[in-house]
Formats: sequence, C-alpha cells, structure tokens
Amino acid sequence: MNAPMPFSGSPSLPPPPSVRPPGGPWGRLRRELFATPADGLLSLALITVISTVLFSLLRWAFTQANWAVVQLNSTLFAVGRYPVEQQWRLWLLTTLLAAATGLTWGLLRAFPRPDRSGELWPQNDRIAVVVLALVALATPWALGLSGAIWGRWLLITGLLVVLRWLAGRFGPRLERGTVAWLALGWPVLYLLGMVLIHGGLGIPAVPSAEWGGLLLTLLEASFAILLCFPLGVLLALGRRSELPLLRWGSVIYIEFIRGAPLITLLFLGQNILGFLLPGGLAPERVWRAAWVLTFFAAAYLAEAVRSGLAAVPKGQLEAARALGLSTPQALRHVVLPQALRVALPVMVSQFISLLQDTTLLSLIGLMELLGTARTVMANPDFLGHYGEVYLTLAVLFWCCCAALGLGSRALERRLDPRHLPNGS
Amino acid sequence: MTSPSPTASSGPIIEARDVHKWYPNGFHALRGASLEVNRGEVVVIMGPSGSGKSTFIRTFNALEDYQQGSIRIDGMPLSNDLRNIDAIRREVGMVFQQFNLFPHLTVLQNLTLAPVLVRRRSKAEAQQRALQLLERVGIAEQAQKFPGQLSGGQQQRVAIARSLCMDPQLMLFDEPTSALDPEMVREVLEVMQGLAADGMTMVVVTHEVRFAEQVADRVVLMADGEVVEIAPPQTFFSNPSHERTRRFLDQIL
Repeated sequence: MNAPMPFSGSPSLPPPPSVRPPGGPWGRLRRELFATPADGLLSLALITVISTVLFSLLRWAFTQANWAVVQLNSTLFAVGRYPVEQQWRLWLLTTLLAAATGLTWGLLRAFPRPDRSGELWPQNDRIAVVVLALVALATPWALGLSGAIWGRWLLITGLLVVLRWLAGRFGPRLERGTVAWLALGWPVLYLLGMVLIHGGLGIPAVPSAEWGGLLLTLLEASFAILLCFPLGVLLALGRRSELPLLRWGSVIYIEFIRGAPLITLLFLGQNILGFLLPGGLAPERVWRAAWVLTFFAAAYLAEAVRSGLAAVPKGQLEAARALGLSTPQALRHVVLPQALRVALPVMVSQFISLLQDTTLLSLIGLMELLGTARTVMANPDFLGHYGEVYLTLAVLFWCCCAALGLGSRALERRLDPRHLPNGS
Repeated sequence: MTSPSPTASSGPIIEARDVHKWYPNGFHALRGASLEVNRGEVVVIMGPSGSGKSTFIRTFNALEDYQQGSIRIDGMPLSNDLRNIDAIRREVGMVFQQFNLFPHLTVLQNLTLAPVLVRRRSKAEAQQRALQLLERVGIAEQAQKFPGQLSGGQQQRVAIARSLCMDPQLMLFDEPTSALDPEMVREVLEVMQGLAADGMTMVVVTHEVRFAEQVADRVVLMADGEVVEIAPPQTFFSNPSHERTRRFLDQIL
C-alpha cells in the first residue's frame, strides 16, 4: 500500500516499478559477498575466521563443557536463596508480568498511531512468538528441569500469547481513553511485585539477604531505572532553570556524581546512606545499593535529557506560551515529550549500562547474578567450571539488554512523527 | 467566526506608546515605537530587516519584554505581572514565520491542546470546534496526520487554525509567508484575507505588497526601531509623505 501523498492538489504519482535484480538468492549472495576479487578474498577470510571460532565454541560447549554446574544451580541463579516454600510468590509475579506483557503488546497493536492503519500480526510479532515458544520449550530441557516446572513455563508462555491474541482481537472495541488508563496497571503491578517479593499485606516477610540471582539483578536495575528517570528529568530542568540556587545545585550534584566511580559511591553509600536518607528508606544493604544506583544513574540521565531539551527549537516553547499555556504546562505537553523522544536512544543505552553495572554489587557482598556465580564457583564440587558459568551469565545479560534495546527501538518508531509507514 | 464581542470596551485594542527595548547585549531594538490598532482593523507592518517589526509585535503578547513606554491590550496594561500576561495571551493569537506546530502531536491534537488546558473546554467540544476551523482553512481531511506529513502552506494554515481555536480578539502574524515556497504563499494569504473579511483584528508583519494593498486598512513603515509612517495603503504606496518610506518602496517595488 502506498502512503497517501501529503500534498493536496499535487497529482498522485504512479508507484515506481519494483526494481528486483535478477538472480534470486544465489545471485544476491554473489553480488553482496563476491562482487570483485578483493571482496571475494575478504569474504572468504572472514568466513574462515568466523566459522573456526564458532566451531571451536560449539565443540567446547558440546564435548568438553560440563553444564551440570548450571543445571544443578539453576534455582540459585534465578532467585538466590529465596525460601522454596515461598517461591510460589515469584511464580505468581511472573505469571502476572506475562499477562500484563501479553495484554500491553496486543493493545499496542490494536491501537496503532492515529495517522496510520496498523497490522494486527506484523511479521516481527510472528517471529517473536516463535522465539518465545522455542525459549519456553528449550530452556527447561537444557537446564534439566522437572516436568512440573517445564509445564509451568509452558503455561505462562501460553498465557502471554493467548492474552496477546485476545487483546489484539477484542481490544479495538475499547475506547482509546480507557486503554490509556489501563497503562496505570504497570505501576500498580510493580508495587504488587514488591509486596510479593518482600512480604507484607498478610504474606510472611522474606528478608532481603535471601534474595539473589537474576531476581535481585532485575529488582535493583528496575528500581534504579524507574526512579532515576523522574530524578534525572528534574535535574536536567534544574540545570536550565533561571533560579541560581536550583541551577547551581543541579550542576554541582551532576558533576560530583559523574566525577566519582560507581564502586566508590557504592561503598560510600553502604557506610553513610543510613545517615543521609530519612529513617526506614534504606535500612538494608539491598536498598542502600538500589538508592546509590538510582542517584548515580540520575546524574547521567540528566545530561541525556539536557541534550534532548537543547534539541527542541525555542519556537516550540514560544508557540505554547503564545497559546496561553503556563510554563509547566508547556514543558509537560510540548517541550518534554519532544526532548525525551530525542534523548530516548541515549537514555536506553544508559539503562543498559545500569543493568550491567549491577554486577558491581557483588563487590559489596550482594548475591546478584555475578555474586551468585562467584559463590557457585567457589563450591569445591564445581571447581574449574568457570567458562560455563560466565557464558551463561553473558547470555542472560545479553537477553535482558537485547529486550531493552528492542523495546526502545519499537518505542522510538512509534513516537517518531516523521516516520512514514512502508518506508515511503 | 469569532467576531469581537460588542460588550468589550470600545477603545483601541492595542495602544503602544513610546516603547523602548534593549536586548541583553545592549542593542537598542525599539526606539520609541508607538501604534494604535482599533477593533476590526487590519494593520500591515513593513520595513527593512532589522527594523524591529517582529520585535514590536512580539511585545504585544509579551514574548519580548520592553524597558520603557507602555502597552495596553484591550485596555489591560501589559506589565511583567504573570497573571496579567496569561490573561492577555489568551486573547491574542500569534502565527509564526516557522509555523511552530507541535511535531509530536497530530493536527487535531495541535488544535485542541490549548483550548482543553487553558480554556478548560471538554475534549469533544474542543475537537468539534477544531474540525470546524480546519474545514474553514481547507484541510479538515488532514486532521489525523502529523505536521511533518503536511506541506509548508498546509502547516501554516493549521497554525492559523490553532490560534483561532482559542477565540482570540486579536491575531498577530509574524512574517507568515516568508518561510514558504512561492507556490504556497497564496493559499495562506487567502485564509488571512478571509479572516480579515470576517472582521478579525489583525496585525501582520509581511513583505507581501499585494496583500497590504488589498486587505490592510493601514500600512505602517518601521525603520531603525521607530514607526516612520502610518497611512492607508493607497497613500502609503503611491504618495508616501516620508523620504524613508519612498526609499524603502523603491527597493521592494
């Protein structure tokens, strides 16, 4: 389908004849890899190097590596020493998260941007469902998990896909406004998740010292990402403020934090944060670390937001003010949405570094993924199996970061007002 | 269309007396400029670049401040009091050279944002009015598009409709056709001409001589931050009384 011509009155041009060079896939391969002798040599050399490395890696993974170290400790890597009889809470949380993801995904497809018609099942979504199904089937097998747990993962994945389908199919019957309200479900779910993990509201408490593995990594990272965002935006606005106290306060804060290594701040936080924050906010090491990560990330985020603010033309604020909007209204509805869209790629790359920076928490004694890995490797039963453990960690982190990156690119496309459908 | 409400005071809608402005770098941009504009009047301001035309009309809705003199809009003195400024901005629409549409909002959202936030209209009411105005400027079918998907002329017409959504008493145009490709100038001028015919009070900074001749009640020449000549278009273009005006006209005609 051609996008409508934007200029009324101009005659609509016929679509260009589709240019498809002859030769099929083999022809294409030859053009792209072996167009000239030099190209051919370079391609051959690269293919040799890549296949040698890949082959050695696969040979190691399937003949020499002993994956028992990961298989036997999979629960430890997932949730640390979270008590077995309380793990139903984490299963419930995972189920709720899967349900919310499926619903959100379907509703986003059911409500495309107002200027274009959306496809309910674009190719990417079909690929994503296949990948999800493969992961849900293969991971429990590879980890040698029991049939019961395998069944749970299948059910959770099935729930996600079914809700994705239902929301896409019946979502369009809802009002756009109602759907916007549904987005509030996410913060509610986050708080509920905190209660489920931590205990409270009638469920027994699980002390934070027993949280670990991927659970702790994701908890610390998500806490810092969620809280550093508003803090970073306020700091960026403060840095551009006309009030000298606010401006200088923001500048000093940002430059101080950016001038100190995170690990220093983490140790510092463990020792003094108890005195700095109001009582009860950071009583335990896990929370003190989470606050340090938040304050650290906020300074970098502020700079990303500041670059976004600088990219919004002055005329935007003037137009908003000329229409009678107050400065806060103009910031909220006109300037910030544009600035944040510009800053989005940089912000996401900082969220990705933040996720990886959580590994530093192992140095202050927290049992997040790397900390768990180090205790496992210190176990005499598994001595020497470092490669297996670190490769597993790398893949886990890569999956989390890839998910963040994919999500951010989808968001960028959806928010880009210049992006026209079908590449026209 | 919005007609000036008969109950409002009958004095001039703009009274600018002896306005001086210095930019922070010390540049003396306005040197005692004065202008009165009556209700329903169309005033075109011309002048060489750097003469302070844009600065002058931007003081009328406090986008620029001024250091000496006085400006009254609809009888309200324009001071640095913020509440006062907000009240005046609600009554004064402004159209910019660069359109300044909000690129992240659809055309319809561009038009409904201020009425909903500032005039506290319901969304449905604001949308209905927005569609009426888009119809009027001839682009109702583009309501769901983003500004970046429209031509320059269409964007400027959206910008005019966006200002009209606030039902202003007065419209300021700051070189509304200067950033447009030549073939799109006319569609914008036609919309403005229609507005004038409906009795809207307008102050227009422009280089479009034909528009000034056909639509303006009075034409103003500004030079070096001062108002040099104010005259009806026939007199202004054929028999100006100031040497400076004659020189300016020689250069542009």
